[in-house]
Amino acid sequence: MTCQQTTELFPDYLLGNLNEAAAAEMQSHLDSCAACQKEAESLRVIWTKLESLPSEQPSETMRPRFYAMLEAYQQGLQHSQSAPRLRDVVNGWLERWWPKHPAFQFALAVALLVAGLFIGNRLNAPALDNGEIVTLRNELNSMRELMTLTLLRQESPSERLQGVSWVQNMDKPDTELLAALLHRLDYDPNINVRLAAVDALYLFVNQPLVRQGLIQSLSRQTSPLVQIALIDLIVEMREKQATAALKQLIMNEKINADVKQRAEWGIQQLL
Amino acid sequence: MSELADNVIMFKVRDGEIGKLGILFERHHVPLYNYFLRQTGRRDASEDLVQEVFLRMLKYRQSYRGESQFTVWMYRIARNSWVDYFKKAKRELPWDEDADEPISDDPNPNDDLEESQKLSQLRAALAKLSPEKREVLVLSRYQDMRYEEIAELLGCAVGTVKARVHRAIKDLKDIYLELSQENAI
Repeated sequence: MTCQQTTELFPDYLLGNLNEAAAAEMQSHLDSCAACQKEAESLRVIWTKLESLPSEQPSETMRPRFYAMLEAYQQGLQHSQSAPRLRDVVNGWLERWWPKHPAFQFALAVALLVAGLFIGNRLNAPALDNGEIVTLRNELNSMRELMTLTLLRQESPSERLQGVSWVQNMDKPDTELLAALLHRLDYDPNINVRLAAVDALYLFVNQPLVRQGLIQSLSRQTSPLVQIALIDLIVEMREKQATAALKQLIMNEKINADVKQRAEWGIQQLL
Repeated sequence: MSELADNVIMFKVRDGEIGKLGILFERHHVPLYNYFLRQTGRRDASEDLVQEVFLRMLKYRQSYRGESQFTVWMYRIARNSWVDYFKKAKRELPWDEDADEPISDDPNPNDDLEESQKLSQLRAALAKLSPEKREVLVLSRYQDMRYEEIAELLGCAVGTVKARVHRAIKDLKDIYLELSQENAI
C-alpha cells in the first residue's frame, strides 16, 4: 500500500468504517512509514478531541414553543377543513366535471377550440360593404326583370297578368319592360291583361315613353272598356297633347257612344 | 411498544396525523439544535432555526417520499433554512468574534483550567474553518451521518465527501496547533 492510498483511507479510518483486511493493510503500511504514522496519529487525536466538545441543551422555551406551533398549525388546518374556501369549492366543482380520461380531455379541448374559432369568426366576419350590396341588388333586379319579361310573353293570360303585377311592384322598371308593357296594352288579345296594363302604366306616367305610348294606344284600342280607362288616365295626367288624339277618337264613326261621350268630357277637362 | 422508525412516523404526519410530529421533535431537536449551534455559534438563531425546520416539515409534508433516510431529508431542510435565514436577515456570516460563549453550566463539573482552555481553542479552531469543511465535519462527527448520507444530502459523490473530510480535519489540526502555540507564548 502506498502513502497516497493510505491517506485516502483516513476518513474511513477515523469513522471506524474500515473492514478487517483494509485495516490490517493500512496498519502494516503505518508500521513501515513514519510520516504516515505521524499523520494518522495527529488526525486521530484531533478527531477524538472533537468528541470532547460537549453538546448543549437548548433553552427551556424551545419545547413549549414547538408544541404551541404544532397546536396552532393543527387548529388552522381543522379550521380550513371545516370552512371550505371558495377556491376549493370551485376546484372541486371543476374536478367533478373535468373528464378523467385523456381521450375525453382531448375531445373537450378540440370542442372548445372549434367553438372559440366559430365565435371568433362570427365576431370578426367582415360586413358586406355597400358596393357589394348594390351589386347584389342590381343582379337580383335584373333577374326579376328577366323573369317578368318572360312572364309577359307567356301564352297563358294568367301568367301575363302576373307579369303585369310584377311590373307594378317594381320601383324603376327599365325601358325594355315598359315597352313590353305598352306592347301588352296595344296588342294583348285578353282584355283583362290590357286593362291591368293600363293600371300598371298609371304608376309610370311621369316617363315620356309611357305618356307617348298611352296617347298613341288610344287609336289602337277597340274595346270600349280599355278606351274609357285610357281616357280617364290621360285626363288624370293632364296631358294637353292628348286633345288631338281624343278629337280623332270622336271623329271615328265606329266608336262606342259611351266612349265618344267620355272623350268629349275628357277634352273639356283638358282645356 | 416498539419504537417506530422515523420514516414511518413521518409518513403518518404526511397522511394527516400532525400530532405525531412531536415524536420526531423529541428525537431530533437537540442534535438539530447543536448542528445549528456548531454551524452558527449562536443560540437564539439556532433555536429559531430548529423551530423553522419543524414548521417546514409540516408545510412540505406532502412532498415527503421516504426515498432516503429521514435524517437526510431533515438536514436538507435544515441547510435550506439556514441559507434562507441568513439571506433574509442579511446577517453577517456565522462564527465571527461575536459568537456566543459556551454556557457556564456545562455538564463538566470538575473541569480544570487547562482542559477548559483546550476546549475553547478547539471551538475557536472549528470556527475558523471554512463553512464547507466545517459542515462535513459537523455532520460526520456530531450528527452521526455516514459519508453516503452526507453525499446524498450535499448532492455530490462519496469520494468528494471523504476528500473534504480529510482536508477539513487536516486544516482543523493545523489551526488548532497554531492557536495552541499562540497561547503558549
